[in-house]
Amino acid sequence: MKNWRMKDIVVMAALAVVFGIVYLVFLPVNVVMMGLIGPIGTDIIFGVWFLVSIVAAYIIQKPGVALISETIAGIVEVLIGSSVGPIVILSAVVQGFGAEAAFTITRYRSYHVFVLMGAGIGAAITSFIWGYFRGGFTALDPSYVVLMLVVRIISGAVISGLIGKAISEALAKTGTLTSFPLGKTYRQRKAG
Amino acid sequence: MHNINPSVKAGTVTIAAIAVAFLFDPVTLLLYTGWTMAVTLLLGKIQIRKYFLYLLPFTIFALGMLVSTLLFAKTPAHPSVTQQFLFWNLPSETVQDALALAIRVFSYATLSLLFVLTTDKVAFILSLIQQCRVSPKLAYGILAGYRFLPLLTNELTTIRSAHLVRGARTKTSRLTRYKQYTIPLLASAIRKAERTAVAMESKGFTGERDRTYYRSYHIRWTDWVFGFVMICALGLCIVFSKSFQ
Repeated sequence: MKNWRMKDIVVMAALAVVFGIVYLVFLPVNVVMMGLIGPIGTDIIFGVWFLVSIVAAYIIQKPGVALISETIAGIVEVLIGSSVGPIVILSAVVQGFGAEAAFTITRYRSYHVFVLMGAGIGAAITSFIWGYFRGGFTALDPSYVVLMLVVRIISGAVISGLIGKAISEALAKTGTLTSFPLGKTYRQRKAG
Repeated sequence: MHNINPSVKAGTVTIAAIAVAFLFDPVTLLLYTGWTMAVTLLLGKIQIRKYFLYLLPFTIFALGMLVSTLLFAKTPAHPSVTQQFLFWNLPSETVQDALALAIRVFSYATLSLLFVLTTDKVAFILSLIQQCRVSPKLAYGILAGYRFLPLLTNELTTIRSAHLVRGARTKTSRLTRYKQYTIPLLASAIRKAERTAVAMESKGFTGERDRTYYRSYHIRWTDWVFGFVMICALGLCIVFSKSFQ
């Protein structure tokens, strides 16, 4: 926290606010998916809820960004009036830890596409363990639960990993990120 | 209800929600949901109509949960023990589980509404700094980011007008529209955030802990009573439903 610039924090918060709205928009989608094809419907789109971790971590590239940005997105959801309530913050922390783990393993040096996908997968796994207790998956057929986990991992890797990368790089192209690591590498790549 | 310390309220609701996650008895959950509703409506001075309007989406969610659990339930240990559920004869265990999961949705919903409907947002963040020792740098950063929220809708209109002026096609599919708006919206949010950060620092915001507050929050004994009563009520619900069976 000490070596964070004020800029990093406010930008991270701004990203979290935008994605907090995205998360809220996807809640009713989730209800529809769940109503149509059962609990597994949630897992197909679950990667959406990890997006901010990947985008913010990729842009700011500092330890803790994935965890804190996801937490803020959770808080923002509650502030706007998420129907799920303060427990969302806890879920967000759990997901953030999963995403953060992938970056910690690489010691915050590599932001390769596999690491970003790994962050999505990490978030998928921790959120699944959390959901297992909270959502009462214990009442479901074990093979169905495994299928849910696999679908969620794929969703985490593809939606949050790949789409998150695409969003961040599109942002770098606009030139707004010049004072952030991602913007700098983008400029270097362009020059070199 | 509105005067209870936001941090204590959030903590209580979270503890209760975690405890609820380990309960599988429909009666207990139903009792506690009723209790939470009663506390919110009686002490929170919330309009009943508004309250039930908020609960409506959860009803759909709970029904989905009920149906899917009935359909995808694990094989019960005692399949021969059945009971009548609406029109079908189903294993009791499955019915119990499905009912518990559906009522649990309401349990979460009422607990959340208890917090969301009776808490001032800014007070919650300020209380997080003052009671939970969240770094002021982070917390005020969040508050600043949160202020962008109403600005974002303005921004969206601006982007739309800009697209129109430059003759971009506006009647596109939903997916391309998302792409059209997301990146400009994020880019402008980042620019605004950078400017805000510079403004905060130039006005002397250092983010240190030993600052003063215009609005200060304290934990009083009534806050502890609230937390204690809410958790005890859950305990009572468990005991009561046990003796009931």
